[in-house]
Amino acid sequence: MGNNIKNAVSTILYVVIIFGFPIGNMIMPDNEISCSERRTLAQAPEFSIESLINGDFFGKFEEYALDQFVFRDKFRSLKAFVNYSILKKKDNNRIYIVNGHISKLEYPLNEKSVRNASDKINGIYDKYLENINTGYAIIPDKNFYLADNGYPAIDYGKMTLIMNENIDKAKYIDLFKSLTIDDYYRTDIHWSQDRLVGLADMILAVMGNSKKASDMNYVQKELYPFYGAYYGQAAVNMEPDTLVYLTNNTLENARAYDHYYKEYGNIYETELFNGTDPYDVFLAGQKPLVTVENPDSDTSRGLLLFKDSFGNSIAPLLLAGYSKITLIDLRLVSSDALDKFIDFSEYQDALFLYCTQTLNNSFMLK
Amino acid sequence: MVFSSINFLFYFLPVVLLLYFTVPFKVKNLVLLISSLFFYFYGEPVYLVLMIAVSLSGYLHGLWINKAKNGRYAIFSLISSLFFGLAPLLYFKYTDFIIRNINFAFGLKIPALNLALPIGISFYSFQVLSYTIDVYRGDAKVQKSFINFATYVSLFPQLIAGPIVRYTTVESELSDRTHSLKDVAYGINRFIIGMSKKVLIANSLGELGDIIAGSDENTVLLYWLKVISFMIQIYYDFSGYSDMAVGLGRIFGFHFLENFDYPFISKSITEFWRRWHISLGTWFKDYVYIPLGGNRKGKAKWLRNIFLVWLLTGFWHGAEWNFILWGLYFAVFLCAEKLFLLKLLDKAPVFIRRIYAMFFILMSFVLFNRDGLNECLYNFRGMFGLLNVPFAGAEILYYLKSYSVTILVAVIGSTPLPKTLVSRLRNYKPACSLINILEPAVQVSLLLLVTAYLIDGSFNPFLYFRF
Repeated sequence: MGNNIKNAVSTILYVVIIFGFPIGNMIMPDNEISCSERRTLAQAPEFSIESLINGDFFGKFEEYALDQFVFRDKFRSLKAFVNYSILKKKDNNRIYIVNGHISKLEYPLNEKSVRNASDKINGIYDKYLENINTGYAIIPDKNFYLADNGYPAIDYGKMTLIMNENIDKAKYIDLFKSLTIDDYYRTDIHWSQDRLVGLADMILAVMGNSKKASDMNYVQKELYPFYGAYYGQAAVNMEPDTLVYLTNNTLENARAYDHYYKEYGNIYETELFNGTDPYDVFLAGQKPLVTVENPDSDTSRGLLLFKDSFGNSIAPLLLAGYSKITLIDLRLVSSDALDKFIDFSEYQDALFLYCTQTLNNSFMLK
Repeated sequence: MVFSSINFLFYFLPVVLLLYFTVPFKVKNLVLLISSLFFYFYGEPVYLVLMIAVSLSGYLHGLWINKAKNGRYAIFSLISSLFFGLAPLLYFKYTDFIIRNINFAFGLKIPALNLALPIGISFYSFQVLSYTIDVYRGDAKVQKSFINFATYVSLFPQLIAGPIVRYTTVESELSDRTHSLKDVAYGINRFIIGMSKKVLIANSLGELGDIIAGSDENTVLLYWLKVISFMIQIYYDFSGYSDMAVGLGRIFGFHFLENFDYPFISKSITEFWRRWHISLGTWFKDYVYIPLGGNRKGKAKWLRNIFLVWLLTGFWHGAEWNFILWGLYFAVFLCAEKLFLLKLLDKAPVFIRRIYAMFFILMSFVLFNRDGLNECLYNFRGMFGLLNVPFAGAEILYYLKSYSVTILVAVIGSTPLPKTLVSRLRNYKPACSLINILEPAVQVSLLLLVTAYLIDGSFNPFLYFRF
């Protein structure tokens, strides 16, 4: 190819690209949400002279142009491919992939945060739980199992030590040795409910509860494809997971009462599987206060479960040992307001169940 | 607006190109002027008026200087142009520095004005001054068209990030330039290369710099990686922007001079400053060093002139003491090299000379990183193991591995090796044809990749905006 032809080809290709994409952006309708990124996308900003003068309009237009760019997900995948495969970066936007598992870097250990979490637990115990059998457990994140492959991670031993040293009124339940990386979804942060029956038995036993989840004759149900929280962030082509949940007649008949919206729902809301966060199948996702009742319970024992999102999938299994479980998400409700909604005399057990990431960022707990 | 943004690449530039290449020649400068004003307004709505005022001042002073040129009081027209050209720069950039130092020296508590620095003021002020001084010297003809002059000052390819384009470089092209497919293709190529340097390498190393800055790890390797990544980031950021400016200028028919010439292969500090930010170095040489007498007025004045120029060069980069020290750091080396060191270095093997230059250039970037003087000293101590910290930690080793390919690509790309290789291959006909096929493919790939990185990334401003 001669230089003249090369110059012509270069110019034409360049013109096609810089005109083609904006035309494509204008033709394609705007999206409201990104399923892969699990967030709402910026919409076209409203124009005003004031926003033009103070620069707001241009800033918002930039966000809009980025969010609504045609083939956005494909471009993100291109970047991920180049970063991982050509530049051999170990992570892309702090997301890394080891042995088919996607995880997110979380380090270093924030000791202040961990101490804050332990203070929060102690404070709640002193205020509400003095006559209640209380335990706490730390749910290891996937990094605990994957970081040995050369990735920075928090000092889990130190985190546990801080919690153990600062909390003396609640029993510590060690989960680290009871789980493996295979108990977690490949594309999501969370564990898989079908792998937790033994864990639920262990927790019930430590709490002094003779009931067992393994006696409950669960039927396994599957929902596919499950694109976990990390799938969209990783922007790589990977086989999705299968979301598994365990059910039986008791759980099908059990009801979950949402104290905030004052309405009843199911334990498993399968229609939410196609929403922005498929893990919302478990107890309809993140809610401040939910009480789950066991219609077939032969005990009046109640459990207060202070939890993050992990708690939603283990709570149905723990229900084997209780007449009711009230799930409390302190990210969404203040601990000072709990006595407005909860009669603590109705509960015999309390369990604080937080993931290492929650403890490492505990200042969000109210 | 920044070049490395979706808005610029896919909205602003296509519209400007479409308008520019469809209007008659006599309107082309007006199109460039309006686009440039919009470009500036996008990023700096309030200070657009300031830029127009500085341009108007330069234009009117040019007319006055031209009229008064051969008279007794011509010098006053020049002095006036210097005053009105420099006053905004001095006010916005240095007032708070002066206040802080007066407070420190005299124990006063004068409140700072907390002035925001108008984008590009250091660049367009120097461009306007170059015009008025050149008109006074007779090196440039006065520009009677305000549109043409304002186009020169505000031309968006080089407005906010350089290079500092002398009026004489584009004087004839303002009123008489040609456009060719060859120039457009060349411009596209330079623009894409510059964009790739900025987005794919500079931004990536900027992320590494942020990670290092936020790290709790305290190791010798961390301090070295910090300064090495910062140095490479600044080079790719700035030279990338200069490539984009040269490329865009060429598309519009302007031939800007090169601003970088592989500075990291330098064998001395003297050579480094002939290869790094060339437009600034030559500006200070032509408008400060030579008028002061250069090296023609005896050794004492020669050394004085070097120190003064480099004090000003450092000060131009930022209103902080570390920048002044940075400038004086180079003054010491330049003086030493001129007096005796270059003669000694000439006797050494080339690789020793390159190691010497690279080492002291690298050290200069510790000063250049605007962490403050105490932080600079701390970084030096960290680098040379004077902080009693381990050599390396898990986190820094992780990031060294993660960024090793990026750094390797950046190091190779900062040498003439790739360009030399391609040039030599072009001597063989089959290879030449293959290169001609691959070149557009590589350009498209890079453009799509840059787009991917922009979409996935966040806001990525040019570092020299603080100037």
